[in-house]
Amino acid sequence: MLLILIMKVIANLGLCVSVYDIRRIDGGFIFPGDGAPTYTVECRLLVFRPFVGEIIDAKLKEFDKDGLRLSMGFFDDIYIPFHLLPHPSRFEPDLENGNRFRWIWEYREANGENEADQASGTVYPIDEIGETIRFRVQSVNYPSIPLEQPKDSKPFAPMVITGSLDNDGLGPISWWE
Amino acid sequence: MSGEEDENAAELKIGDEFLKAKCLMNCEVSLILEHKYEQLQQMSDDPLNQVSQVFEKSLQYVKRFSRYKNPDAVRQVREILSRYQLAEFELCVLGNLCPETVEEAIAMVPSIKNRGRALDDEAIEKMLNDLSLIKRFE
Repeated sequence: MLLILIMKVIANLGLCVSVYDIRRIDGGFIFPGDGAPTYTVECRLLVFRPFVGEIIDAKLKEFDKDGLRLSMGFFDDIYIPFHLLPHPSRFEPDLENGNRFRWIWEYREANGENEADQASGTVYPIDEIGETIRFRVQSVNYPSIPLEQPKDSKPFAPMVITGSLDNDGLGPISWWE
Repeated sequence: MSGEEDENAAELKIGDEFLKAKCLMNCEVSLILEHKYEQLQQMSDDPLNQVSQVFEKSLQYVKRFSRYKNPDAVRQVREILSRYQLAEFELCVLGNLCPETVEEAIAMVPSIKNRGRALDDEAIEKMLNDLSLIKRFE
């Protein structure tokens, strides 16, 4: 019966991964019209519940002009919108790779002079599917279940993490090694 | 959900749910799930019985992203970090990411330098050194 909770997102709480222990079981009453006894179970659950500000490592799942999508394997509704990528970033064709589009962070040293006069900075791409990316949790949302879903839309995500890469030490861990 | 806008770990404001819950590091979750996995394998009469996908993938994730594998080391990490008057989630982020320098630690957990905290750079450095010693002798 506890299997109902595993794999489920409990609204405003998080994704239930496992039962940790059972502390109490009460009841065993059979309600009229029921074929089985009902018990009240008090238990502790192991829940994946990220907090705002937490730093998490996840793998790059896919990306497009709107930003990145990351996955932890057991949870993959993690989005880094383009405005939370490190500044300045652009989505542009990769000349060495069939002009496939990818995200680029261009790091320029600030040296007090007019930035437009500087030679271009160092380019750091984010384009390897599966690479580990470190992000900061910006917000966690639990959208309400839609009454109807258009046929081709993405499956409903009961918990969505929005992340940010806009800080020192964040982004692909290969950048910082 | 209205609590979400006010929630911000950087200012030590966390959701009410966290007040009763215990925060665990990846290495601790790894030990718990591995133990659970062994229990389930032993209890199962059906050799084809699979644990849930979420469970398996969670176990994979925490194993992959645990800095400490040995149960004694994990216990020591929690014990050492507990000495420094850290909030539970600060402790967990530090235990998960194991920053090497004081600057890294402050970048990851800016709240450790909030006004009024008793954590100066020296204390942070000592804490990080203690953590890396455990790693070395694991």
